[in-house]
Amino acid sequence: MVTALYTHDSSDTHVTPPGHPERVARLEVVRAALNGLDLDRRECPAGDEADVLRCHPADYIAKVKAAIPTNSYVSLDADTHVAPGSLTAAMHAVGGMAAAVDAVMAGEVANAFVACRPPGHHAETATAMGFCLFGTAAIGAMRALEVAGAKRVAVLDFDVHHGNGTQDLLWNEPRALFASSHQMPLYPGSGAAHETGAHGNVINVPLAPGSGGAEMRRAWGDVILPAEADFDPDLVIISAGFDAAIEDPLANLNWTAEDFAWVTRAIFEMAHDVAGGRVVSTLEGGYDLDALGAGVRAHVDVMMEQGG
Amino acid sequence: MSETAVDKMSFEEAMAELEGVVGQLESGNVPLEASIALYERGAALKAHCQKKLAEAEEKVAQITTDGDGNAAGTEPLDRA
Repeated sequence: MVTALYTHDSSDTHVTPPGHPERVARLEVVRAALNGLDLDRRECPAGDEADVLRCHPADYIAKVKAAIPTNSYVSLDADTHVAPGSLTAAMHAVGGMAAAVDAVMAGEVANAFVACRPPGHHAETATAMGFCLFGTAAIGAMRALEVAGAKRVAVLDFDVHHGNGTQDLLWNEPRALFASSHQMPLYPGSGAAHETGAHGNVINVPLAPGSGGAEMRRAWGDVILPAEADFDPDLVIISAGFDAAIEDPLANLNWTAEDFAWVTRAIFEMAHDVAGGRVVSTLEGGYDLDALGAGVRAHVDVMMEQGG
Repeated sequence: MSETAVDKMSFEEAMAELEGVVGQLESGNVPLEASIALYERGAALKAHCQKKLAEAEEKVAQITTDGDGNAAGTEPLDRA
């Protein structure tokens, strides 16, 4: 079976102010890195608001809609800005995630990578933050549980920043495991090891600034992957951020493309054992364009290898 | 707002600012883009505090090791 790639042109209409690191060029680099690969290329459908409503209240969705300008930008916080195309882009990211979950759970494709903007893992229940509007990974987990037949879903996050939004959205959900490695101290300030969820379903492994692949392998090998195995999920969702790369301007970890390949392969090897190899990955951060391209290529190469 | 050069700060000044930096990073109220710069300022402050402590420790060692077990005054730390 093949690896599916979900994209949509609307991602390019989520334009951020000049100089903003979460920019249209990121996805151009991602597309270029995946150009020519034997992927099942699919267009994200428009997201269903019912999927968003499993994680965010209606008045929050209404607030985001009301903030969308007819031209230029509106700032939701110091980091998070919306342009005229931002809602359409975010809803297609949600739609791509939902379609990827359905396709992987139905066995249509081996696994799927959703390459959309804006990212999602910082969006809390009623707060847009950290470049994120809707919690795409958590929305995918709830879709899998409520619609696609999964009994348990693990969301594993290797973005350099803590996925506070996914943690918030899944905190009370015993059928979902959220596990994250991230630099600490760093934005958003959460993600300490003692944050364990309402049902012991949250695992945080902070990484020290300046640490690299060896520390990452210990965090994942000793803590997160055994937890993935113990949880015994039917589906694994990866929040794939590439900002732990040594070149990234927004953090101080020292991962290489080989490290991104290693963590992807390790997640898949565990997912083959416990989840039938069913994995959906969604793009989060990564702000050095060359490192982003190299990291995504390494990640998707392993997805293809593991799906083949 | 201009920042004081870290290497010009006293231990107390650096420690006070470092405590503020840690508090801000833990509060979650620092923008993502500013977080890295704030962390790096904190790392510089921490290094400066550690250097000041090491200097103080060396000075204490000079007092305690001078003479035949009796305190015999101090020598300037910086002999340059």
